[in-house]
Amino acid sequence: MPSERASPGLKIAAGAGLAFLHLPILLIFLYAFTTEEKSYQFPPPGLTLKWFAVAWNRADIWPPLWLSLQVAAVSTLIAMVLGTLVAAAMAQSRFFGREQVSLLILLPIALPGVITGMALRSAFSVVDIPFSVWTIILGHATFCIVIVYNNAVARFRRLHGGVLEASADLGANGFQTFGYVLLPNLGSALLAGGMLAFALSFDEVIVTTFTAGQQSTLPIWMLTELVRPRQRPVTNVVAIVVVAMTFLPILAAYYLTRDGEHTAGAGK
Amino acid sequence: MLSDAPAVLPERGPADRLTAVFWRHPRVLLVLLLTPPLLWLGVVYLGSLAALLLQSFYSIDEFSGLVVPEFTLKTYAELFRAQNLDIILRTLTMAVLVTLTSAVIAFPIAYFAARFARGRWKALFYLGVMLPLWSSYLVKVYAWKLILAREGIVTWLAERAGAGPLLGRALDEQWFGGSSLSTSPVGTFIVFVYIWMPYMILPMQAALERVPGSMLEAAADLGASRGQAFRTVILPLALPGIVAGSIFTFSLTLGDYIIPQIIGNSARFIGLAVYQFQGTAGNLPLAAAFAVVPIVIMLVYLAIAKRLGAFDAL
Amino acid sequence: MTPDPTPAVEFRAVSRHFGAVRAVDSVDLTIAEGAFFAMLGPSGSGKTTCLRLISGFEKPSAGHILIHGQDVSDVPPNRRNVNTVFQDYALFPHMTVRENVAYGLMVKGVDRRRRRDKAEELLALVKLQGYGDRRPGQLSGGQRQRVALARALINEPRALLLDEPLGALDLKLREAMQDELKALQKRLGITFVFVTHDQHEALSMADSLAVFNEGKIAQIGTPEDVYTRPKSRFVADFVGSSNVLPPKLTRALGGPAAWASLRPESVRLAAVGPVRGTVSAVRYLGAGSRVVLRIGEVEVAAYVPAGDPIPDIGSEASPVFAPAALHVMEG
Repeated sequence: MPSERASPGLKIAAGAGLAFLHLPILLIFLYAFTTEEKSYQFPPPGLTLKWFAVAWNRADIWPPLWLSLQVAAVSTLIAMVLGTLVAAAMAQSRFFGREQVSLLILLPIALPGVITGMALRSAFSVVDIPFSVWTIILGHATFCIVIVYNNAVARFRRLHGGVLEASADLGANGFQTFGYVLLPNLGSALLAGGMLAFALSFDEVIVTTFTAGQQSTLPIWMLTELVRPRQRPVTNVVAIVVVAMTFLPILAAYYLTRDGEHTAGAGK
Repeated sequence: MLSDAPAVLPERGPADRLTAVFWRHPRVLLVLLLTPPLLWLGVVYLGSLAALLLQSFYSIDEFSGLVVPEFTLKTYAELFRAQNLDIILRTLTMAVLVTLTSAVIAFPIAYFAARFARGRWKALFYLGVMLPLWSSYLVKVYAWKLILAREGIVTWLAERAGAGPLLGRALDEQWFGGSSLSTSPVGTFIVFVYIWMPYMILPMQAALERVPGSMLEAAADLGASRGQAFRTVILPLALPGIVAGSIFTFSLTLGDYIIPQIIGNSARFIGLAVYQFQGTAGNLPLAAAFAVVPIVIMLVYLAIAKRLGAFDAL
Repeated sequence: MTPDPTPAVEFRAVSRHFGAVRAVDSVDLTIAEGAFFAMLGPSGSGKTTCLRLISGFEKPSAGHILIHGQDVSDVPPNRRNVNTVFQDYALFPHMTVRENVAYGLMVKGVDRRRRRDKAEELLALVKLQGYGDRRPGQLSGGQRQRVALARALINEPRALLLDEPLGALDLKLREAMQDELKALQKRLGITFVFVTHDQHEALSMADSLAVFNEGKIAQIGTPEDVYTRPKSRFVADFVGSSNVLPPKLTRALGGPAAWASLRPESVRLAAVGPVRGTVSAVRYLGAGSRVVLRIGEVEVAAYVPAGDPIPDIGSEASPVFAPAALHVMEG
């Protein structure tokens, strides 16, 4: 039967496609150990660990890293609250304007980042808001909402509505039902959404350049280094750190939601 | 044994009272749930979009360089200058090429994952798409700078394969090259495809999973060859999914300004124009007007996608 | 024990409309204290909505609901002293069996020790000693059903509401559970209100029942009442295996010109009678046979006791019965 087995051509095309996606990232790891300082020479003339120490001692890396962590943490927190609220409302009832609400949530991530960034930039200019950590957070939280929402809404859909009624039936008021039944069942999905939101925010650069003013998040620091390289191997080391900081939450999110709902991040 | 139990239990405090209010008026809870997120998105996001529109109808005073907050269409008229039209056309061409190429690369992956991968393999495929999609944008772009650099892996491989001179000649061609692949339009194109292609795979896969296997078997029963079944059954049925997946790839390519800044011959794209006008040039109105262009293009694109049934596939 | 005169549950002209759909349409209903009451009807007939009106998950569009004489129309579910066994049990997946059972006490603030003791007591009642530490996911369907039962009983409710509680079980388990539920209800003396679409289940378990059709109660009474004296064609059709006779045939058989029902057990076959029919089917039932006579457009089933001659298919015969067996219906 022709539909039962994949043809060799298809296998090769699919495999090559996946390899195309993965190999470049692996290359970064190699470059972090190169002894070559001035160019991107391949293959590296020698391998060394010294750039990790050099990067560690570079004073200009720490403030951007700290700012990125701060922004990602606060944005994630805001997105988790807002995303969960929308998901709860969507799960609770069908109301007029549902479609519009879900479009509104999706829009900040479906439209190119430059639009969101430029829009925020215009708004800050029109209303005369000076750039600060909060202007960055404002942007990040906005496009992180959809990530949390996607995860939460999938779990709400899977959660058997009867258990909320059962809880009320047994005498629990709304707050007890929330704490004893809803939250424990929603928890891992929210955590997954939060982690993805964190990864997204930690890595975001397109919107951030419009909302950061003179401040530098880690991605902005990296962007500057890419446009005007100073010490290339240090950039390589930072790149590995960034990869790790985003990989781990993504893997964790995947394992938190893996049974049944393949939604984690499906709408980045 | 139970006849003395009360029929109604006593109210135990504010939590019970509030629960009763929500039960009597479910809309109250709905409004309470929706107000904070809608307020946020309404004020921060829609408000900003409105500010963007407003800004685009302002203009800049040519002598003082200050924004004149009066309604004018002057700024939009500037978009139609030859150099600006060039930017728009170049961006649009790039987005179309990237989207088409991405579809060709993404399709086998999505098709294999949808029809043949089972169990562990399916999970592996999923992770195999998700991880690159979610890993750091800048690092991915950076990786390509390493790959495409003059002294990088591509040149090394080309020389090893004895194709070094060929690559050199190709780079001399004006439409193709620059001093190296990392400063050539082809480099920009490759990186665009690499970065935005993964966004197409999952929606495509979801759409292909909805094509019932029985239809293919029916096509095979009727004597269709593999190729015919693909052209006459799978492709038409998968088209909405392909279009749905292309929305993200197209839209994100349209607005990207980091990639052409790092990889390429510094030819300008819409995103880059927006970035430069609002930054170094300080021409906020023109930057805003430029940002409206991708919105308009996306609206048209979405209208076409809707016609092709893409929204049912999302 | 003298019967309590206050009914356990009372509906006064209760309606529940969803848009233009009248799921429950001006229903009056009284369920006696301590009764095993069944709500029987096809799907969409309003029986489940009625149950949800009692538990408080639906609010009446009009009318009043009383539990033990107290109007609860404005009382939210968590304060109504009735508990529900849900159709698919709705056990909390993240809690152990014991935590599930003790949930009603936990939200009331009962201390841990008493919760534990009481939960064990209830688990023993439903014959699940030793299962307290398992998760619902590790139990069979029948066991889950018992957990749901124990969980709903721990608050000692005024009435226990059961929504198709046996629907998900296989036939053998279902019959065993029917007997057990009945015994449990007798022992506890709690009013059970039981929703089902299975007439055999309703007839064998309930001591009174209401038959629902299109949001209204078509008939209410004891199982015997409903079975032998259906008030309408719908009830006769839905509840029993009774013959439903159109007015013309009723008259030809010696009754008034009205719809009537006639139980097959009351009909015998004779060679001579007022109406003749053709034998169209014969089914052997062990203690006798069920013979179907075709009279024009109507089929009339008769019962032939074992030992009596069974007519051949295609042969002619007349149905005969005692005049009292003919039950004239309202419509």
